[in-house]
Amino acid sequence: MTRYAMVVDLRRCVGCQTCTAACKHTNATAPGVQWRWVLDLEAGTFPDVSRTFVPVGCQHCDEPPCEAACPTTATKKRADGLVTIDYDLCIGCAYCSVACPYYARYKVTTSRPAYADEPMAHEHKRADPGMIGVATKCTFCSDRIDYGHAHGLTPGVDPDATPACANACIASALTFGDIDDPESKPSHLLRDNQHFRMHEELGTGPGFYYLWEKAR
Amino acid sequence: MPISSTAHTRKVATYCYQCVAGPDLLKVKVEDGVATAIEPNFDAVGVHPADGRVCVKAFGLVQKTYNPSRVLAPMKRTNPKKGRNEDPGFVAISWDEALDLIAERLRGIRETGLLDASGYPRVAASFGGGGTPTAYMGTFPAFLGAWGPVDMSFGSGQGVKCYHSEHLYGELWHRAFIVCPDTPRTRYLVSFGSNIEASGGVCGISRHAAARVEQGIKRVQIEPHLSITGGCSAEWVPIKPKTDVAFMHAMIHVMLFENDRSRLDIPFLKRMTASPYLVAPNGLYLRDPATRKPLVWDLVQAAALPFDAPGIDPALDGEFIASGVEVLADGDLTEHRDARVKTAFGKLLEHERELTPEWAEGICDVPAATIRRIANEYLDHAQIGATIEIEGRTLPFRPVAITLGKTVNNGWGGYDCCWARTLMACLVGALDVPGGTIGTAVRLNRPANDRQSSAKPGPDGFMDYPFNPTDKENWIGRPQIRNANRTLVPLVANSAWSAALGPTHLAWMQQRHGFENFPEPTQPDVWFFYRTNPVISFWDTPRVEEVVAKFPFVVAFAYTHDETNHFADVLLPDCTDLESLQLLRIGGTKYVEQFWDHQGFALRQPATEPQGEARDFTWIATELARRAGILEGYNNAINRGAAGVALKGEHYDFRLDTAQVHDVETIWNASCRAASAELTKGEEDHGLDWWREHGFRTIGYPRLQWYLYPHLEDQGLRFEMPYQERIFRIGQELGRRLHESGIAWWDRQLTEYRPLPEFHDFSNLIKHAVISNLGGRAEDFPFWLLTARSMQYAWGGNVSLQMIREVADNIKGHRGVIMNTAAATRLGIEDGDLVEVRSPLRETRGRVVLRQGIRPDTLLMVGQFDHWITPYARNFEVPSMNALVPMLMDLTDATGSAGDIVPVSIIRIGGAR
Repeated sequence: MTRYAMVVDLRRCVGCQTCTAACKHTNATAPGVQWRWVLDLEAGTFPDVSRTFVPVGCQHCDEPPCEAACPTTATKKRADGLVTIDYDLCIGCAYCSVACPYYARYKVTTSRPAYADEPMAHEHKRADPGMIGVATKCTFCSDRIDYGHAHGLTPGVDPDATPACANACIASALTFGDIDDPESKPSHLLRDNQHFRMHEELGTGPGFYYLWEKAR
Repeated sequence: MPISSTAHTRKVATYCYQCVAGPDLLKVKVEDGVATAIEPNFDAVGVHPADGRVCVKAFGLVQKTYNPSRVLAPMKRTNPKKGRNEDPGFVAISWDEALDLIAERLRGIRETGLLDASGYPRVAASFGGGGTPTAYMGTFPAFLGAWGPVDMSFGSGQGVKCYHSEHLYGELWHRAFIVCPDTPRTRYLVSFGSNIEASGGVCGISRHAAARVEQGIKRVQIEPHLSITGGCSAEWVPIKPKTDVAFMHAMIHVMLFENDRSRLDIPFLKRMTASPYLVAPNGLYLRDPATRKPLVWDLVQAAALPFDAPGIDPALDGEFIASGVEVLADGDLTEHRDARVKTAFGKLLEHERELTPEWAEGICDVPAATIRRIANEYLDHAQIGATIEIEGRTLPFRPVAITLGKTVNNGWGGYDCCWARTLMACLVGALDVPGGTIGTAVRLNRPANDRQSSAKPGPDGFMDYPFNPTDKENWIGRPQIRNANRTLVPLVANSAWSAALGPTHLAWMQQRHGFENFPEPTQPDVWFFYRTNPVISFWDTPRVEEVVAKFPFVVAFAYTHDETNHFADVLLPDCTDLESLQLLRIGGTKYVEQFWDHQGFALRQPATEPQGEARDFTWIATELARRAGILEGYNNAINRGAAGVALKGEHYDFRLDTAQVHDVETIWNASCRAASAELTKGEEDHGLDWWREHGFRTIGYPRLQWYLYPHLEDQGLRFEMPYQERIFRIGQELGRRLHESGIAWWDRQLTEYRPLPEFHDFSNLIKHAVISNLGGRAEDFPFWLLTARSMQYAWGGNVSLQMIREVADNIKGHRGVIMNTAAATRLGIEDGDLVEVRSPLRETRGRVVLRQGIRPDTLLMVGQFDHWITPYARNFEVPSMNALVPMLMDLTDATGSAGDIVPVSIIRIGGAR
């Protein structure tokens, strides 16, 4: 079996938002829509304070609450772990957005250029009416993964088959791959480090792991 | 089809050098001629230190290209009145008209003389971004070179926004215009406010991330607020602003007086520094009367002998009776017979004896136990005696380093902090060795692309240094440019970078009022500027604005309308990053943390057609040269290498006909062929087409070149530490020259020329300087206002880009002024409240962002905003400290810089939105 997942090393992330920008470029998301972004979190009281940068987005859960909430079966769980949205089936009811405990879904109801009313040349070129009025979210760059499979490439290893955020990360904080493959890089990272998943207590089985310390 | 190239989709290789941490390599995805996305250039895996990745700023380049607010045609001003509230009345004109307007002025200058009555160049130019505009201005350096004297005095951030003292003293002590850790090998790093995760670029961030996780480095961040780097460090120590030098003195005290001497690197101190040199009664070295070489006390013969006498074992410490001569200022000699003398190291011990952690605690508000622990951890990690093999050569291995951030290493205290940092490296033998504190590049010494070769033997066993003369015959008493860099700052040398490293605010200050016994402060007849916005990005920016408004003829290379080109007479729209052509040297070692195993060139090439009437900068430079009547000199400058590579070398000759006008592609084709030939000793001569396809070409760069130590060892040279005899003498000479000329307004700066930095509480000194000049009571300004670099914005010229604004907002501080929660509560201020922050100079307004990670006596304004005309950014309503910091001589240190810090008050004036 294959289970694609993202492993985030919180010791490496510096909150630069390069992943955020790379995602926006690759997926041509509208202004204000960030399928991948990085939180700037603070904990403690002066002078005992910590500051942590936490990449977030769709967690591609094993048991996605969004899938259960979707009345049209637009949201589906793929066999390889990816949670997808079929824009042709989505009616934009946004139940999924409410159901998602990770605030990972967006819905844009009108075309929204970055400046004023006129789209720039690249916005015009990349405009996709199919993304208006429907739920959208991180796809783990499923099109790149599918392209990779079709061309004998390994997702998480070959850049052309790897999510754009992981490709672009300048701190190597984001590592993508198949955690059912014990020899994949994310599998090694999970074995070698202590980790957690966000809101694990909800039983969603997130496909997003956060490393924070070496394994004891 | 998201990945592969199709008939309509292609990937264009290019580079990004928007900030000094570059250059980095990338690819642009182009669909039907439209640039749509930025991607890493994975062809550079294993070549580029960050494997072909670029940071978030590069992802702004697509919007930068298609931004509807761009200036897309040459424009001229129709309203002769200049002021913030005056509409310039810019109207579009043809390129011919624009260039002729400028050329007419330039020809007029050539007819009347390149220098004015005060001896200043009639043409001035300012460039921002720490020199990075040269990576985008094509052959304009050839135009400037052909022109003759150009005044680059007028700063746009230099001094107050840069690592100024580090630039100057770093080059003196270890050819380190920028200093950084040997990050891949170090194990313990003390960072005094160096926000490397915001300023170190792709290479800095990737190296430090690997160091944290793979090497297990411990990094201690000492800084008044919890910066990005503080958040990513093992420990944050919230020090009182501008008291870092007290912390460092206390660390030195712990190393010298609380630890066994064997924990220091004694062989390094004896052999690689001037620690054993004997200091004579007047504070200068005791020298051999015949050779004038500094004397040391030889423990073998129990006698004073020249430092380089064979077979000696010099004493590190102690007091001795010795005879010799002392070379005083201006070469005056004094003879000493049986004088009581100490070693330089002994002087250091005297100097540091009382500067204990308990003493420092009261100054920097950090517990003595914390300072003591950090000093001891530094020693614990130093591995005295360890070695490492680099490319077959055995070198010392000292995995401890110290870095300094902005405001720590500029302005008053900058000399002290740079000295203390360099000294602490020497105490454990960690200066410019593997694992230690090392340099990255030279900008004041020559050759510019090889710091090792720049380290030539000089006097007294030290490297030579191109000090500006201070002797009576050769002192440059009449300034050559308006910031008087070579007159006032001997350390600033005389390279192409020296003008920008002078006291650049003096050029602005003099436009308001001249200095006594200095030439009349004339205006430049023509002022060019590019990729800089000094009306926003300097200190006391409203004063800069007033000066710019009075300049008679201003030429702006303009991207959008902005606060500085609001005062321009002509706007020239150059092609932006993804539209133009240029070849750039890459690799080797470069600031901030670019350490390559390769060196070569990369091409920046058009990914898309120029928008509107924008023209390639090389075309603009050629046309200006032609119309100004300096075409032959311009072509000659290109042939000599002004565009980055000499067109004639040992194995090749691709020189251009100097009488002809050459188009852009012809010029860069010749450069491409020359670069290929230079790299391969003439075996290749690939032209532009090859470079367009491949993007870059490199050859190996030896890792031994990362370190200066082996080069010094081979030449028998030593680091000029701890005692600053040359600085002391030069300061005395400079004082004499100035006083002989009736100049007393630089006296405060002369006090910095001490052989061992004299401690001052710089926090108090700065506050007193501001209050005494501007009035008010110290207790009315109880907060310190600081700034921090925004990685998303710094140097990008990208404030008008929506995408950058959107993603930067994810990082706290991009919407207002950061304040400690408890301090705000005491003043009745809540998160999001509108506040007024007031310095003794003036006030600004903004929204409060409450955080725990900042000292209760400190406020923080990230970045440099405050825009009032730049499209999009003018609506930010984010405060900047730049208007609040006064431009004062009393805040100016001997190198001509000042710190980004000012005392302020804060009051609530409105609720949250």
